[in-house]
Amino acid sequence: MTRKTSTLAAALTVLAFSFPAYAADPIKIGVLLPSSGVFAGLGGDQTLALEMGFDDFGREVAGRPIELIPADTESKPNSGLAQFKKLVFKDEVDIVVGIISSAVAGAVRDAAHNAKVPLIISNAGNNPLTGEQCSPWILRTSFSNSQIVREMGPWMAAKGYNNVFLMAFDYAAGHQMMDAFREGFVAAGGNIAGEEFPPLGETKDFGPYLAKVKAAKPDAAFVFFAGGPAIKFVKEWAAFGLKGEVTLAGAGWLNSALYVKKQGMDAEGALGILNYVPSIDTPENAAFQENFRAAHGRDGSEFGVAAYDSARLIVEALKATGGATDDKAALVAAMREVHFEGPRGPFRIDPMTNNVVQNIYIFEVQPQGDSVAAIVQDVIPDVQDPPKGCTL
Amino acid sequence: MRERDPIQLPVAGLLAVIAVAAWFGAGYFGQELLAEIAILAIFAMSLDLLVGVAGMVSLGHAGFLALGAYATAGATVFWGWPPAAALAFSVAVAGACALGVGLFAVRLGGVFFIMITLAIGQMFYAYFFKARAFGGDNGMSGTPRFDLSPLGLETGDPAVFSALMLVIAGAVYVALLLLVRSPFGMMLTAIHQNENRLASLGCPVRRYKLAAFGLGGAIAGLAGALMAQHTGFVSPDLAFWTLSGEALIIVILGGSGSLVGAAGGAAVFVMLRDHLSDGSFWEGLRLSGDIATHWQLVMGLFFIAVVLLARDGLYGRLSWLVDRVRSAWRGRGGGA
Amino acid sequence: MLLDPEFLIVQTLNGLQLSALLFLLSIGLSVVFGLINFINLAHGTLFMLGAYFALSAARAFDSFWLVLLVAPVGVAVVGGLLYLVLLRHMQRADPMKQVLVTFGLIFVGLESVMIVWGPLPHTIDVPALLAGSSSVLGQVYPTYRLFIIALGLAVFLLLYLGLERTRLGAIVRAGVDNRTMVAALGIDIGLVFFLVFCLGCGLAGLAGVVAAPVFSIFPGMDMSVLILALIVVVLGGPGSLKGAGLGSLIIGIADTYGQVLVPELARVTIYALMALILIFKPAGLVPVRSGH
Repeated sequence: MTRKTSTLAAALTVLAFSFPAYAADPIKIGVLLPSSGVFAGLGGDQTLALEMGFDDFGREVAGRPIELIPADTESKPNSGLAQFKKLVFKDEVDIVVGIISSAVAGAVRDAAHNAKVPLIISNAGNNPLTGEQCSPWILRTSFSNSQIVREMGPWMAAKGYNNVFLMAFDYAAGHQMMDAFREGFVAAGGNIAGEEFPPLGETKDFGPYLAKVKAAKPDAAFVFFAGGPAIKFVKEWAAFGLKGEVTLAGAGWLNSALYVKKQGMDAEGALGILNYVPSIDTPENAAFQENFRAAHGRDGSEFGVAAYDSARLIVEALKATGGATDDKAALVAAMREVHFEGPRGPFRIDPMTNNVVQNIYIFEVQPQGDSVAAIVQDVIPDVQDPPKGCTL
Repeated sequence: MRERDPIQLPVAGLLAVIAVAAWFGAGYFGQELLAEIAILAIFAMSLDLLVGVAGMVSLGHAGFLALGAYATAGATVFWGWPPAAALAFSVAVAGACALGVGLFAVRLGGVFFIMITLAIGQMFYAYFFKARAFGGDNGMSGTPRFDLSPLGLETGDPAVFSALMLVIAGAVYVALLLLVRSPFGMMLTAIHQNENRLASLGCPVRRYKLAAFGLGGAIAGLAGALMAQHTGFVSPDLAFWTLSGEALIIVILGGSGSLVGAAGGAAVFVMLRDHLSDGSFWEGLRLSGDIATHWQLVMGLFFIAVVLLARDGLYGRLSWLVDRVRSAWRGRGGGA
Repeated sequence: MLLDPEFLIVQTLNGLQLSALLFLLSIGLSVVFGLINFINLAHGTLFMLGAYFALSAARAFDSFWLVLLVAPVGVAVVGGLLYLVLLRHMQRADPMKQVLVTFGLIFVGLESVMIVWGPLPHTIDVPALLAGSSSVLGQVYPTYRLFIIALGLAVFLLLYLGLERTRLGAIVRAGVDNRTMVAALGIDIGLVFFLVFCLGCGLAGLAGVVAAPVFSIFPGMDMSVLILALIVVVLGGPGSLKGAGLGSLIIGIADTYGQVLVPELARVTIYALMALILIFKPAGLVPVRSGH
């Protein structure tokens, strides 16, 4: 029975595609986000925001409906690559958007470059993707790891932090974040008190590393953790008596809007640097947050905003081509021209690298009502990556 | 023990015909799937040699797959070796490592063998995860495919590449079948059935098992090298123990010890995964496409069902069916 | 740094805390393994379930102590159901099939958790009594972690007394040693095994509950502990209470110090340790079985 039905479905599909394309042909967009594996939570968050983006900016361009086709990367490179191929070669999508994990992005990169289909990366921050491995077909609406962190070193040095301890998981993103911080901080005259790189995903206990931080007696620590480990790290930091003794600073995912309230008062006083915080005071952001809260009962996060802006980028580029998608080069050219005021401020694509140019915010976690929130302390406008080895 | 194995070759022939038909009918994506199936079939058959023939259940077999993949990636990208030479290198590296590991592992039996192979597979995973030279957890891209341009073939074309993979899978199958039916293979089967008796007869049981383990590792390395060529990418996930677990499921699904069953199991597995994770498949069943989000739940239930119900696998069931039909036919023929 | 007493004290406490958790997690696995050579790969899933049950119970009851009681019982019930529906029929199957059935359960458990509680990480609060920090030999150390160490020790002692001083304990010990003999004495070894299995699941759940406030709760937390627990079991010797205790202690301390002293080899060393032990002492450090 099952087999019969699916054969029937397959036959119908074949029939449907054998008709020539006509005006109301849907514009197909592959959504390459994990619904399983370690990044399932972030994938879910981006899916919600992407849907909201298409609701807000239009589900139809020039009479052609926009159809989203989800594909689960399982947060694994090989599955991500297989799903990318499925989207492009089986579903024949016009645009692919998504990718949380840098490992998945790395696996997909060559295939996307060769397939000549626009790929919009809505999270993965691996530097080389818009550096030496950049491709005219790959745009990034989220960030590069160094883009987020680079300005934090000089800022902290100027605030009088001279001796800083570094910590991140031992993986590519962790090292890129720490390198970017170290470079700026040392150039500004700071001293690195010590650094630790616990093994990714296997650290069930930050205790041993916190003991090392304690022993080093720094002014501050600069760390990069995200998701479950970030919650755990902040709580442990307080439990080990480091809160109040040593200033905790981090790449802002440490106190992401997705879970800063779960960290509660343990997070209070933490400094962070990120491309978005919910407390940004602009009408665009107020509208975004209001919609998101109404729909999902919580703050929209930096992950959500990147997906939301990706939807806007796609819709505006499609409007610019009059809904035409056959000429993929023209479609990408249109995307590179799009610029707007989004929830996180001015948004545009850097023609040198295809990475986003955006404001970077420095925040402090402060009490708010019966909980805490990240409050903006400083804004560094229009942060742009140097085109490291990228020639487009 | 099947005294005779009358359906082995007919089933293999049937699979070959299906593969050729699929190759002619497949589009761009279908070719990708075919290549994936062929490579996974090689991996599953190498595991079947250990599990089904020699009776050694390994939960670390993916470690050798990853070794082969990384050896090919390293040799082509760092040293600029041609892919064919890198492939031979992969087989040698994986085989040698398997021999080294096997030296210790084959002393153990049952659950303890499962546990030590699990630990060793995870050691490879932990190593590749940290190996800066290979991109650590991010993995490494850039592995080229065979250069067949002298023959006028472009392996970048999925149809050419998948055909090549199918041919190699077929060759591996034939080689393994000859091996299993050789005196060496007979001895492995006998060890599987009653290790103590053979040991008491003076058979160097451990040496046979070691040879099988090394050979299985080498073929897994071959599959790894082809996988690196196919995706152009290697990552530590290739060594993770769940991949070994999935390969074991494939072997059981197909019918442990039947070789051709492992190949068929690989095909069923890949097609199933492709369908379950596709929303339109569920919509085709008049169910919500959102179920696709939780396809791993269905896959897990499927695993359990396979283990509980499959007994001797698809191959065994088919074999049973053929037997029944035959005896019924004979019965009727005798009466007439 | 090794000679710095501050570092030594805190690090050793960290090691003990991990040991205590590993003990709670692995003892059930170990006894089941010892009784019928059954490896339950879904044991980590039960640990995760304990944490999620704690999350729901904490929302319902508002008392950590009640949660500490209710959630493990819930996990024991789930374990019992699994046993009755599925695993009971697997006892005579070959080890591969047993391992693979529980392998399938890992995927089912993971997705079920995501469906019920969503994919985002959660936390639960430490009870007020244990929330602060205490001073141990002059070092500030989280009180809750001291509680985990104490709990691990208490459970070890309780189980020890239970095994040595009760009839059920005697049957279990005898069953690990020689199952057929016990059955021949007319004892319903199946029932005994069922109870032990449920208890083991409950303890895995308990580990999940006490781990939840420290580690945060997320889908996939099972995978991160499963392999460690398996290593403890093999290292200590399947079926042995003392073995599980000793194995937990070795792995807990070795992992804690290993991570900070030789980070490059962090996990490789532990896997290698397990492989070595299996090669030279296949029955573990505290072998229990005389015959089978």
